[in-house]
Amino acid sequence: MTLFTKVGCEKCDYVKQHVNLSAVGVRVEELGPDNPDALAHLAWHGLVTVAERSLPILVLDDSRYLTGAIRIRRYLQEIGS
Amino acid sequence: MGDVMELKRTVEPPDQDATDRVLFVRTSDMEIVSWDRRRIAEALVRETYLDRDTADKVAEAVDRVIHRSRIEVLTAPLIRELVDAQLIQMGLEAARRMHTRLGMPLFDVEELLVQPNRENANVPHGPEATNLTLAENIKKEYALLAVFSQDVADAHMRGDLHLHDLGFIDRPYCSGQSLEYLKRFGLNLPNSLANAKPARHPEVLLAHMVKFSAALQSNFAGAIGWDAVNLFFAPYLEGMSDRDVKQLAQMLIFEYSQQAVARGGQAIFSDINLYWEVPRHFQDVPAIGPGGGYTGKTYGEYEKEAQRFVWLMFDVYADGDASGRPFFFPKPLVHITEKFFETEGHERFLRHICEVAADKGNTYFVFDRGDTAKISECCRLSFKLEKSDLEDAKQPWRMRYSALQNVTMNLPRVAYRAGGDDTRLFQGLTEMLELATRAHLEKKAFIERLLSQGDRGPLSLLTMNRDGQPYLRMHRVSYLLGMVGLNEMVKIHTGQELHESDEAFRFGLKIIAHMKLVADKLSRHHNMHFVLEQTPAESTAYRFARLDLKYYSPAAGHAVRGDMSRGEVYYTNSTQLHVGSPTNPVDRVRLEGLFHPLIEAGAITHVWLGEERPDPDSLANFVVKVFRNTHNDQIAFSPEFTTCVACERTSRGMSETCPHCGSDEVEGITRITGYFTKVSSWNKGKIGELHERRRTAGFFTPPSPPETASA
Repeated sequence: MTLFTKVGCEKCDYVKQHVNLSAVGVRVEELGPDNPDALAHLAWHGLVTVAERSLPILVLDDSRYLTGAIRIRRYLQEIGS
Repeated sequence: MGDVMELKRTVEPPDQDATDRVLFVRTSDMEIVSWDRRRIAEALVRETYLDRDTADKVAEAVDRVIHRSRIEVLTAPLIRELVDAQLIQMGLEAARRMHTRLGMPLFDVEELLVQPNRENANVPHGPEATNLTLAENIKKEYALLAVFSQDVADAHMRGDLHLHDLGFIDRPYCSGQSLEYLKRFGLNLPNSLANAKPARHPEVLLAHMVKFSAALQSNFAGAIGWDAVNLFFAPYLEGMSDRDVKQLAQMLIFEYSQQAVARGGQAIFSDINLYWEVPRHFQDVPAIGPGGGYTGKTYGEYEKEAQRFVWLMFDVYADGDASGRPFFFPKPLVHITEKFFETEGHERFLRHICEVAADKGNTYFVFDRGDTAKISECCRLSFKLEKSDLEDAKQPWRMRYSALQNVTMNLPRVAYRAGGDDTRLFQGLTEMLELATRAHLEKKAFIERLLSQGDRGPLSLLTMNRDGQPYLRMHRVSYLLGMVGLNEMVKIHTGQELHESDEAFRFGLKIIAHMKLVADKLSRHHNMHFVLEQTPAESTAYRFARLDLKYYSPAAGHAVRGDMSRGEVYYTNSTQLHVGSPTNPVDRVRLEGLFHPLIEAGAITHVWLGEERPDPDSLANFVVKVFRNTHNDQIAFSPEFTTCVACERTSRGMSETCPHCGSDEVEGITRITGYFTKVSSWNKGKIGELHERRRTAGFFTPPSPPETASA
């Protein structure tokens, strides 16, 4: 699973603070002006326009995705428990 | 030294000393005057920064050369060349550059007047076209010498990048606008002999629109787009019969298709944006009607009239011209939005425009998902409307958007130079983008210099101010960064084409992601709007391929597409999969669409139908799925036709003889990059691409039911 975030995103920080991401197998990709890999990965999943409206985005192993910090937190906490 | 001068010697008696000869000059004012070397010095002082003493020394030296020479007739170009040679000898290179004469050799002019020009398939051959080419050649030279710095000019000449429309250096690139401007202010052009009040009748509004398009086309290098045409005509159509509205639609389409008065005698490169629904941002906007006053209704109340007009427009497109050929212009761009699917009648309308797409290929399907709104034009260029633009929607005449220039990067070349090294590849891309940015800054400075002359300057139409802002709103222009050959770049660097593996495709995405991030950084740094665009690259893809074969062989020999033995070589357009890749239309649209959100200024996927005449319901189904399930910005279906000069009938597919009368006087017609035109006008690169296009070959045609055996 991949969690797309960006610097200065409070909702992204909320998820990071409330979930042990590495423990649940989530890799964090931070979108930013110097990270074309993250943007390309986002584009691969067809989520560029979603990210323009809403971050963080959690992409699951089957390429489905979740938005909304609370929804993502709950999902990951359920997996972890 | 602007005069044309011809130096004529008098007939000399054999015993006369050379110093006794009198030399004469024939000037461009049709006078014969005595030769005077002081004219050389005056020209040097006027045109360069040389001081008078140095200029006199140059003039004396040239005077000695002329008097010693055996030349029978001296021309102004030759005198200028002699002066330039003298400047070089004296180490005065800067003065030499400033003193340069621009122009073309006699041989080239002869060839031009006799042979057709293939750079732009939209430009017919004729006196206007050759005037255009001659003028363009001089302006190109001027641009490369006096507008762009040497680094930028050399990069263009080498083929590292391409500065589009150098021959139109004194114009912005393209423009999108609203009919509301004409409806509110009438047609009042600088230098016009007559001004017109706002139209009271739809035919007059149409006349204003066409004339203004022609005027705009002489001030822009590229396409002229109009927003929400059917909606803004709607207040003028109340009370008209269907017959009269269809007549108006015919007039609109024929006027744009047959106007051979734009640049070089070509048709106006025109786009009309069309909607089945009333776009949300116009729903509550007060409508302007006949005479330029408000009607008391909002545009939301004109939905039915707008729908009637767009339906009948497509009836006209479906008929084709008198020979049944598809109309080349104006290009109809139908916007598919969320609201489209909520609007009554949308299924019938979708089938109607898909019938036209299947039969004639005209329809462009532009996908505005979510809250996106766009004005589209050219082959794929679009202006995404920001929040401030949606504020302007309350006064739609303000909605004017332009691109100032397009600079396209030769992506395969970056790969050749990188030699397989990722760091060098991305560094090369960044450097090329920075150079392209410098080109934009230089063009911007030049255009601002012209604009600063206001209504007395060469761009007076663009400075006219009827609504508190100049017509060309410089604070909202975009600066385009285009690309050619991503597919070949990825192949050179990774060994695989985009369609050949996920890794290759994802590497392509990384390249474009990198370009977008650099463009964003450059935008913030310069406070300008740099955006990526899929360059149409009608001739650029051919030019880059030829230059790379020259300078980067043998590597280029493995990457360039087409038939090298015939010179029909090209690179794949922008971020598209190769035209010949074994990718079905569904996957092609989906995969190419993954790039589109990174390319803010617009993108398109072509579906090459060839001679297949698809089922309109299949196309409609396909269009809905593209909207719902992909991120593709825009698609167009491109059939192929043969039109017969002898019997004037048009048939499906391309053939060497007319299937009706057997004549071999036939023309092939299909879409070149973003518009229909005759194949005979295409450059070799596009011909090479045409041969390799993979057609849909029955993909959209449901199989026939099996025959049942008779009892």
